[in-house]
Amino acid sequence: MSYFTPLAVVGLALAAAPGVWLLEQLVAGQRPAPGRALRDLRIMLGSPLQRPESCDSALFHLAPSLLVLASVVALATVPWAPGFRGIDLQAGALLFVAALAYVTPAMVMAGWGAGRPLAVLGGFRWVALMLAYAMPLAMVITSVAAPAGSLRPTDIVRVQHAVPMAVAQPLALALWLPAVTAVCFLPPFDLPQAGGELFGGVFAEYRGLDLALVALAQRVLLLAVSGMTAALFLAGWEWPLLPPAVWMGLKTAAVAWLLLWAGRRFPRVAVDRALSLAWRVANPLSMLAIVYAGLLTLLFYR
Amino acid sequence: MSDLATAIVFWPAVGLMLAAAVFVFITSSMARAGLLLLASLAIEGLVFLALGSRFLGFLQLLMMSGEMVIMVFFMVMFMPDPGGLMGMDMTHDKRRSATVAVAVTAALGLVAVLTDWPARVVGRGAPDVRAIGFEVMGRSMISFLFAGMTILLAMVGGVLLAKHGGRFGLPAAGDEQSGEHSPPEERS
Repeated sequence: MSYFTPLAVVGLALAAAPGVWLLEQLVAGQRPAPGRALRDLRIMLGSPLQRPESCDSALFHLAPSLLVLASVVALATVPWAPGFRGIDLQAGALLFVAALAYVTPAMVMAGWGAGRPLAVLGGFRWVALMLAYAMPLAMVITSVAAPAGSLRPTDIVRVQHAVPMAVAQPLALALWLPAVTAVCFLPPFDLPQAGGELFGGVFAEYRGLDLALVALAQRVLLLAVSGMTAALFLAGWEWPLLPPAVWMGLKTAAVAWLLLWAGRRFPRVAVDRALSLAWRVANPLSMLAIVYAGLLTLLFYR
Repeated sequence: MSDLATAIVFWPAVGLMLAAAVFVFITSSMARAGLLLLASLAIEGLVFLALGSRFLGFLQLLMMSGEMVIMVFFMVMFMPDPGGLMGMDMTHDKRRSATVAVAVTAALGLVAVLTDWPARVVGRGAPDVRAIGFEVMGRSMISFLFAGMTILLAMVGGVLLAKHGGRFGLPAAGDEQSGEHSPPEERS
């Protein structure tokens, strides 16, 4: 790993903010106004931090940094092109899931640290939701890793040379997309902050730099999961004619577009319904997906 | 990593890990105790990484985040004083537990120091690695499954026992409340 790699990943994380912002505006059907967005950002960064009325304000102020750290590590595991791949490890896909797992303690810290009932409720909702979606997420990673016989994302991209995993394992993709939307706390799974219901929930008390870090972390998360979806399911850079990085960028943008569009298209899922869906439908189906992946691997990939 | 780099990461990480573990028992806030335990175990994952065991390190990081957060969740749900604001003492039988703790630490330390650890590094694809894989997935599997089921039963049983009395225990003879009982200072 050269010194260039960490710099490139941090650069990519910083580029995620304007990139995803632009996509959000386009999905919303609004003409992007960068001037106004920059002014809003300056006001946000200029306003002082909120001091919560709880004894755990340290947890409250640590949570956004933990969110950013988790999202940047997740982003670093995404294989963007044959040459550029951040942290390319034997167990890269596992590191991706491990990084996403740290969004959960960050949410609990933010909710508990804010010391407001609705914030604590938002944090605990998130725990219940992530507990329910952790298994499908891990099972889907295992299912797509099985044909490659490796947890290295680069190997998983290479094995899709002939058939993308989205075609070979549509069930795994169907389980993966809602789970990663929930991980990014994007609508329709924005249960921890839940605009009209918890009045901002875990993030209601955040101001200034804290709020900017949360907003950045959410966009980096979206970029990371979109990139990983493109790599694990849409064959990453493995398509002809265009340069590899361009393919990867196009596919990532398409996945991010789909996730943002779904957030505008569907109403927020009620928390009991989301939990019931996860435990009664997604978890059993993820077992089915892994059996299917095993059969597929034995029949076609050996 | 070179030996020096490993040592530079290893010793401060171990110090932090132990410090976080000690603070788990000093704080009386359930949320802080759980999150400090998470910090301690996550740093242990980083220690695994520093020692070159990537899979184990990532697995430790992944498992501990979920498990410790669930523990925070349950501790806050069931403890009468989750925020540690009432100054309630969570420890009991101090002398005996301290004796047991010191004895166990000394015994484990002796085992660690006196064992004749192998100095040879096992490479990838070595027969030992294969043998461990077959052992874990074969004969030992039944004991793992049994242990898993036992832990699950213990968790369900623990929740049932705690739920029976509610957060503040079973009502005393003269109490009027039923169901979820109110905290002691609100009763009179």
